[in-house]
Amino acid sequence: MSTPILEVRDLGVHYGERHALRDVSFAVGAGELIAVIGPNGAGKSTMFKAICGLVNHEGVVEVNGVHCHDHTDRMDLAYIPQRNDSDLNFPITVGELVLAGRRRFHRWYQRPSATDVAAAELALERVHLPGAGTRALTELSGGQLQRAYVARALAQEASVVLLDEALSGVDQPSTLELLDVFESLAAHGTTLLVATHDLALARRRFGRCLAVNGTLRADGAPATVLTTEALDSTFGSADGTKGFRALAD
Amino acid sequence: MHWLIDPFQAEFMQRAFLAAIIIGVVAPVVGTWVVLRRMANLGDAMSHGTLAGVGIAYAAGVNVLFGAMGAGLIIALLLLTFSGNRRLGQETVITVIGTAFFALGVVVISRLDTGVELTHFLFGRVLTVQWNDIWLNLALGGAAVAVVALMFGELRLATFDHVQAEQVGVRVELVQGVLVMLLAVVVVISLRAVGTVMTVTMLVTPAATARLIARDLRRMTLWGVVFGVSEGVLGLMIAYHLSSAPGATIGLVAAVVFAVVFAITLPKRMPHHHRPLG
Repeated sequence: MSTPILEVRDLGVHYGERHALRDVSFAVGAGELIAVIGPNGAGKSTMFKAICGLVNHEGVVEVNGVHCHDHTDRMDLAYIPQRNDSDLNFPITVGELVLAGRRRFHRWYQRPSATDVAAAELALERVHLPGAGTRALTELSGGQLQRAYVARALAQEASVVLLDEALSGVDQPSTLELLDVFESLAAHGTTLLVATHDLALARRRFGRCLAVNGTLRADGAPATVLTTEALDSTFGSADGTKGFRALAD
Repeated sequence: MHWLIDPFQAEFMQRAFLAAIIIGVVAPVVGTWVVLRRMANLGDAMSHGTLAGVGIAYAAGVNVLFGAMGAGLIIALLLLTFSGNRRLGQETVITVIGTAFFALGVVVISRLDTGVELTHFLFGRVLTVQWNDIWLNLALGGAAVAVVALMFGELRLATFDHVQAEQVGVRVELVQGVLVMLLAVVVVISLRAVGTVMTVTMLVTPAATARLIARDLRRMTLWGVVFGVSEGVLGLMIAYHLSSAPGATIGLVAAVVFAVVFAITLPKRMPHHHRPLG
């Protein structure tokens, strides 16, 4: 890997006495498409939030070699939370959602400029939602909604995009369309980390897997991470191993 | 035709209409965010709690609007300080603080040895609004609308997705603090016209009605203002002809309009309008 675009060292999060995550270290290069796997409650979302500096944590997170979280540098990361973390009936248009990504480029009292509007329109085109800017968010399907969020991350011009359960609750054609978008973005240099429960997709469509359960259990190409031993370590059930193996195959 | 023109003849009624129009504009502009952030309980606590400041100011011979403003600010600061308590939860803290200040107000006013009645402050006396009240309301209301206009983008971001907002540099807690202060301003300017009890009606009901029909925030704000102003004016006209309590009549008109719009828009909100998976 060339110079890492995102480097995480000894990342840990604890809530009181309980450790939600500990000793997570990995580095990611530009244009990588990475699946983050692990059971519910394994700490995938916590890891994303810690990387973004949204929860108190130990360890170091560097983006482009700069320790982020101090203030502005963390804006080079885009985080797309799980769908139930936002009010999806909020009266906002798709264009306004995507323009929110441009906030980092101006002061709080400034209105979006023509450049911002053009960047938002371009972002919508790149996720195959051209001309959707005037539509209300409530009019979008689940897959279109995820693409709109990705467009917001693109408008933000983030080097790294963290997507939490982006493929959950989305039908198969839309999943495949989303994956096409992810691959296209990765080909243009954007790094994407996608938390997913779909191990078959992780094997087929992602270049690398991070297996997380309280800590980083495995890291590497899908063929090396989606093995009986690694899945057993990650999902923690000897009985379930065969099932996971079958799914991964 | 006389039915329409008569209420506007007397100067005290002209002042009352102006007061209602100012509230009709300002309350929904702030109320839009109260509704979207599900802060109606906070608005209720704030409007009731200002009675403490009103009572103390009245006892001290100071303009009650200043008393309301002082109480509003103290309540806002207390809420911002204590509402993060995880053991109790925000709703509980809001209720405890709001009712404590309301009780203090009732006790102070009940101890006053004057002809003033508690109901004047609870339900307002829009017909006694003076020109200096109008000017003060205009200044405070204008400032509140200007702050919302300036912070529109920040409010939208912090309300829709506070995680992303925080990440791209929005100071989410500051936005919340400003909103609580704006709430205090609305309570102050509504005091004389609709009283501490009915203030939350003007804050929530026109904005909630607008929420039923608007598909984006700008339209929601504008519709809220249309409802707020028209309900204020219509309520006053009805109160004039029926000799009913103006503040309560305005509140009743707002509730009826909400019910009608709710019924009309019901088919659109039926369960088959769920978001498709794909």
